[in-house]
Amino acid sequence: MTTHFITAEIDRQESPVKTHQAIEAELQKQGEPLRWAVTRVEEQRLHVEAVVTTSAPVARA
Amino acid sequence: MSQRPYTVVLIVPTGIGATFGGYAGDALPIARAMAQVCDRLITHPNVLNGAQLYWPLDNVFYVEGYGLDQFAAGRWGLRPVHQNRIGLVLDQEIEPELRLQQLQAADACRATLGLSLTDYIVTDAPLQVQLQTAASGATWGTIQNPDSLLRAVTQLIQYAKAEAIAVVARFPDDPESEALQAYRQGQGVDPLAGAEAVISHLVVRTFQIPCAHAPALQPLPLDPHLNPRAAAEEIGYTFLPSVLVGLSRAPQLVRGSNQQGELWSRDVDAVVVPATACGSSALFHLSQSQARIIAVSENQTQMQVSPAAIGIQAVQVLSYLEALGILVAHQAGIDPTPLSQSLQPLKPLL
Repeated sequence: MTTHFITAEIDRQESPVKTHQAIEAELQKQGEPLRWAVTRVEEQRLHVEAVVTTSAPVARA
Repeated sequence: MSQRPYTVVLIVPTGIGATFGGYAGDALPIARAMAQVCDRLITHPNVLNGAQLYWPLDNVFYVEGYGLDQFAAGRWGLRPVHQNRIGLVLDQEIEPELRLQQLQAADACRATLGLSLTDYIVTDAPLQVQLQTAASGATWGTIQNPDSLLRAVTQLIQYAKAEAIAVVARFPDDPESEALQAYRQGQGVDPLAGAEAVISHLVVRTFQIPCAHAPALQPLPLDPHLNPRAAAEEIGYTFLPSVLVGLSRAPQLVRGSNQQGELWSRDVDAVVVPATACGSSALFHLSQSQARIIAVSENQTQMQVSPAAIGIQAVQVLSYLEALGILVAHQAGIDPTPLSQSLQPLKPLL
């Protein structure tokens, strides 16, 4: 497993629930979301910062 | 007396430079006050951890941020406990002297506070924490060897029957950095906070077990101008006691259960959050429940997300003192309008 800091931009949806789903779907393109936050909103555009994880072969130390 | 216990969620996200709660457990007085005016307070380690300092509160639920997100989504419930057996994970990278200090802090919590700890484990590789500050000003972080952390936790759960996990990772020392200097003056953003959250989130997501983190760092030189808000982290060798105290009675995270005494998101009556930090997963979910959202303007942060910006209805207050008043009125079933402004006559709806 590896951890990655990423950013994303998502359009605000018609409801907070749909917006949440849109954010998670966008982040899942880059990995499994671990922690994220909308950091600012410009017009209807949400700026998101996140850490996601991606699977890699597990190597024993 | 109400038939329904009044339940509040207090959120102060870590690593966003919150005026209240962005330093060394400096939101703890807010949590203490809030715990007095509600039946149950749910909040997260950033609020309750003051390194060496803590304040046990019987009606407060210590819930790690990832667990709080899942609770808010209705996927996980909170099952109260009498005591958790805590497993301690130490980063292989911690030097022998620092490691001994962590272990002695843990032993002190066993002998003097009666906490229950399992034997500890050292990760099979250095976790290698990396810190960064994002464009927003929030601090984040990653770890290079997350699998080593997860292997250690697996062993604690399997062989030591740990019911909660305390992680101590070696964090980079940078005593001259501008970020740290600002933090010690009670300004800026905690440079460690974002990475700490990632560490505990990893454990909670993987194992559905209470978890919290304390960094291992070399002591800083004395600073005669140290801000009181940052002081709690500079009065001892470790940050561990508050973490262990919090974990000792942190609720278990349950799924698909409905036992008496458990809390689910439907039980939440109010959520208190900084007015500019409304972009969290937990708040998105809770805003769709019947909970009243209270946004506090005085708790400024690096974030720029108001409730309106994401379509959330909220009561805007200036201060936490005002928020406490709203909670008291809400619990009592009193409309706060006549308490603060002149009341206008009713008008026809249409």
